[in-house]
Amino acid sequence: MSATGSGISNLEGHTDFDIVWPWTRPGGLRAGTTAVLRVKDEARSLPWVLPPLLRACDHVLVVDNGSTDGTPEVTAETAAKAGLADKLTQETYPFSVARAGAEHLAQPERSVHSLAYFYNWCFAQVRTRYSWKWDGDMVLTTEGEVSIADLGWQVASGVQSAQSIIRVPRHGLYLESDSKGYLDLGLRNAEEWGFPIGPDFVFTKAYEWEIRTTPDPVRSIGLPHGLCVELKYLDGDEFAHWTDPASFATSYRNKRKRREWTVYNALLEGTVVPGVHEITAPPGVHIVDFVTQEWLPRAPRPLEVGLPELAPGSPAQLALARREAGG
Amino acid sequence: MTTAPEQPGSELSLTDPATYPRKVLFVAGAGRSGTSTMAGLMRIMGLHVPQPEVVADETNPKGFGEPRWVVDHHDRLLKEALVQVSDSRPEAWFETGRVATREHERIATAEWLESHFRVSTELVVKDPRLGWFIGLWRVAAVRTGATPVFATMLRPPAEVVGSKQTYYANRLGSAHLAASWLNMMLHTERGTRVGLDGGGVAAGGRVFVRYGDLLDDWVKTSMHVAETLQLQHVLHADSEQIREGHRFVDPGLRRMSQTLADLNLPKPLHELTASTWEELNKLADPGGDTPAVHEALDQLREAYVDLYEEAAAISRSSVVAAEQRLKRQRATAPAGRSAADRIPHGVRAAVPPSVRRWLRKVAGRERPAAG
Repeated sequence: MSATGSGISNLEGHTDFDIVWPWTRPGGLRAGTTAVLRVKDEARSLPWVLPPLLRACDHVLVVDNGSTDGTPEVTAETAAKAGLADKLTQETYPFSVARAGAEHLAQPERSVHSLAYFYNWCFAQVRTRYSWKWDGDMVLTTEGEVSIADLGWQVASGVQSAQSIIRVPRHGLYLESDSKGYLDLGLRNAEEWGFPIGPDFVFTKAYEWEIRTTPDPVRSIGLPHGLCVELKYLDGDEFAHWTDPASFATSYRNKRKRREWTVYNALLEGTVVPGVHEITAPPGVHIVDFVTQEWLPRAPRPLEVGLPELAPGSPAQLALARREAGG
Repeated sequence: MTTAPEQPGSELSLTDPATYPRKVLFVAGAGRSGTSTMAGLMRIMGLHVPQPEVVADETNPKGFGEPRWVVDHHDRLLKEALVQVSDSRPEAWFETGRVATREHERIATAEWLESHFRVSTELVVKDPRLGWFIGLWRVAAVRTGATPVFATMLRPPAEVVGSKQTYYANRLGSAHLAASWLNMMLHTERGTRVGLDGGGVAAGGRVFVRYGDLLDDWVKTSMHVAETLQLQHVLHADSEQIREGHRFVDPGLRRMSQTLADLNLPKPLHELTASTWEELNKLADPGGDTPAVHEALDQLREAYVDLYEEAAAISRSSVVAAEQRLKRQRATAPAGRSAADRIPHGVRAAVPPSVRRWLRKVAGRERPAAG
């Protein structure tokens, strides 16, 4: 998909959901950052996700896609409770979107059911020059919040800086109860979350999911580890948005999902695998608040992250890559 | 099982400073704006200035209140980011911000801060370069379980520029100095705003202080700072500390009296400077730190970025000419000899081959493998 012209029409003819590139709108884009969350049934996580994000960004856009658990109401209540409702916008995307994996691969890119189209539509609602792609279960730590907030105004300080991509590492936090959780520091994983809004940075189709286009060369900055956790519920179905969880075992690109699958199933069986920290919050403190506001910000640095066998160049990972390539 | 990291502080006792919560006051603002007076007063009231500090000289006879390590740290980081202390490029903020994301710099900054919290629970850190690294210091405070708070000194830009020209024999001219004042103040204001919205854990607060107010009535002004930022040492200062404060503050320090018109700035720069000073002034009024002022300052910051980019585009030929001059200088300079070449052959030959190979490797001058 390329960002020529003023936008994209979808194959199904839903003209009210055609994409209009925001930089072509009258008045153009304004300075600032917007976090964009595409959510489905995240009512449980959003009370932790939204407050630090609303404090760190100029704007937060939550796009609901078929929630049945009251996600839009919880979103509005959380922002109001934080006193930051003026920074929140909610939208609804009414079409079913293909799940990651085989279902996504089968969808044409310009279908309203395609992940790439859905993402392009969401980011076309942004009115600022910089954006954060955010998930409905990603919670910033205190250090993460101030780091994102600073970079948000710094990228707006010039033409060159505004064309940078920012990578944010995240760590799975598996919740057993309100006071107990398991933090996975076994995998080093940093994904690109900060992107300019502009014709060089739109979404297109990749094998398992969507991917954002970038110019070549592009400037990329990585934040340190320990700034963001991803909430996982041991009593929930964490892999419902995948067509076939068994596919994790065979693709090198899916190493994060594969690790999550391993950790999640081990914890369900009562085993804490290497690299995972069992953490108990003090009485009266919720485990998510404790990990994000105390444990991670105060953990000794450099944070010990990444098991040797999960590193990209390790024999185990190279063997997996070879198997995938058919070698 | 992993337990909670050690938490500082316990029950607050007004008579025992060891029980005060960890707090670090960062004194920000353009150089020659009264930052030394503020840091000096806070020291007298009991906040700890991490030692050793920069020694006083004729430009600041009562001392700078600047920790030596902080000055050296900032100098090194600015060099790495290719940013000058008085840099008027808006883009420079991204360059210093990028340096601040590096984990080893965050570790070094937090470790230094932690070592001084072992001396006192309330610290004051001041350096005119600090504005460039507000984010880095905020992270260091978070990592050490401390609350970061900011006091930004305000002084009329004409006086700052005049003072810099007088004391530092600055040859860069008033337009450059006014532009770097604008760049520093507009972005320092934005940087210290982080954490104010919605009261996050790291939101300790900020205060803006007019240098003139501090000189006119430092007792009232410093109490306002202490109450806003909850600085326990100042709130509970004793009589002797207050007497010492009176001996320290010299109302005659404000020696500059020129106006903005005296600087003969280009019209757009003059207007931006005047409007920015007007808005910043509002922040120093009681209850003046409001969203409406933030909005006005956001617009001024954008206007400054636009003005700078316009000026840079117009003056591109000057940059190209400077680059060409440098290229010519490099081309005509005699080729440098490596350190190894300067060692006599006999000495070099006495070094065993394995050690020579190792030395070449360390110096990044490995020879290609034979074959």
